Amino acid sequence: MNNKIVKLSMVLFVICAITAGILGIVNALTWERIDQITHQKEYEAYAAVLGSESGYTQVEFDKAAFPTVDSVNQSNDGNGYVVTSTFSGAQGNITMACGVGTDLKCTGISIIEHSETSGLGAVAASTSSAGEAFRAQFVGQDEGIALSKAGGSIDALAGATITSNAVTNATATSIKCIASLG
Amino acid sequence: MNRKQQFKEGLITNNPVLVQQIGMCATMAITTTLFNGIGMGLSVLIILTCCNVVVAALRKIIPDEIRLAIFVVVIAGFVTIVDLLLQAFIPALSAALGVFIPLIVVNCIIIGRAEAFCQKNTVKDSFFDGIFQGLGYTCVLIIMCVFREFVGSGRFGGGLIDVANGFRFTLDGTGGGIQIFPEEFGAAIMNLPFGGFLTLGLLIGLMQYALKRSEKKKKAAEHAAKEAALKEVEE
Repeated sequence: MNNKIVKLSMVLFVICAITAGILGIVNALTWERIDQITHQKEYEAYAAVLGSESGYTQVEFDKAAFPTVDSVNQSNDGNGYVVTSTFSGAQGNITMACGVGTDLKCTGISIIEHSETSGLGAVAASTSSAGEAFRAQFVGQDEGIALSKAGGSIDALAGATITSNAVTNATATSIKCIASLG
Repeated sequence: MNRKQQFKEGLITNNPVLVQQIGMCATMAITTTLFNGIGMGLSVLIILTCCNVVVAALRKIIPDEIRLAIFVVVIAGFVTIVDLLLQAFIPALSAALGVFIPLIVVNCIIIGRAEAFCQKNTVKDSFFDGIFQGLGYTCVLIIMCVFREFVGSGRFGGGLIDVANGFRFTLDGTGGGIQIFPEEFGAAIMNLPFGGFLTLGLLIGLMQYALKRSEKKKKAAEHAAKEAALKEVEE
């Protein structure tokens, strides 16, 4: 009996070890590319929401008051800030970059990472015309931004009210966070 | 084993989604654009074929008591490999399918085929089983995508075909598709999970109807043949 248990666990162990080894190799082959793609995405997101020719500098902010905000990056051109925040969408966390101009108005948003439903909430991040149109609505909004259902002027994505609402709220939070910097 | 028979089983008579009715969660969730459907279908096909081969190759070593644990390890391994490769080389597809790629681990098609087929059959047979069952799954996804996209938003080939600057195929999922009628006239509900249920239900119904009919025809033919034989004997 004891022998059998030992044999079973040995077989399972060997198979797990081989799988882990193979995964290690694949990871070693791909992580550099994945890392590069993530960084590039982040950089592209910054540039899309607030163009800056001389790059960005990270600045301090009140993390306790704005727990969803990850980082605040001031444009070295002096034309505003890029706020990255992570908040929950309909299916999981959404990471978003929001540009805020010096006049405390949104200069654009870009979703860096998300796990929203493909074809619904995911449209908010897609390069399709519906996605572009959705994000274009955020440009020029101030901290009173809200969905049209709630009296604002942002039209929610069809079938993705939760995602649209989360993105809208995060934009408002980002602007408030910059306002608090003074 | 007869390849033709296997092919027919995978695509029609034992189709994983429409007849075995396994792996339906992802089927309903991701079939919103043709790009997603083909991407998901091919990912499943590749993972299924790899897992089938490995499980069949190990079938004499795997102790019966812990076979499920080993299947899950093998499947999870392959899914992670495909996930990493997609993230590195086709980031658009990885972004579009999101969590449904890692979820292939718990897609019953793969563990179902391992349990029902590969542990009793040779590596070669299992390899073809993986390809044909994967094709069957992909075909169902494509039919659902085309139907939902057309009824829901009046489009064909979203993500895969771009007609804005002349006809071309976009492999990075950015194409807008061919607009057949204005999007406002589409039944947006077809894009929601509800539309997925509806489409899948209709497809399963059609499939069962067709299968029953061909069975009845076969039986009628058999019956007629028997009667003819009886008559001959009587005469």
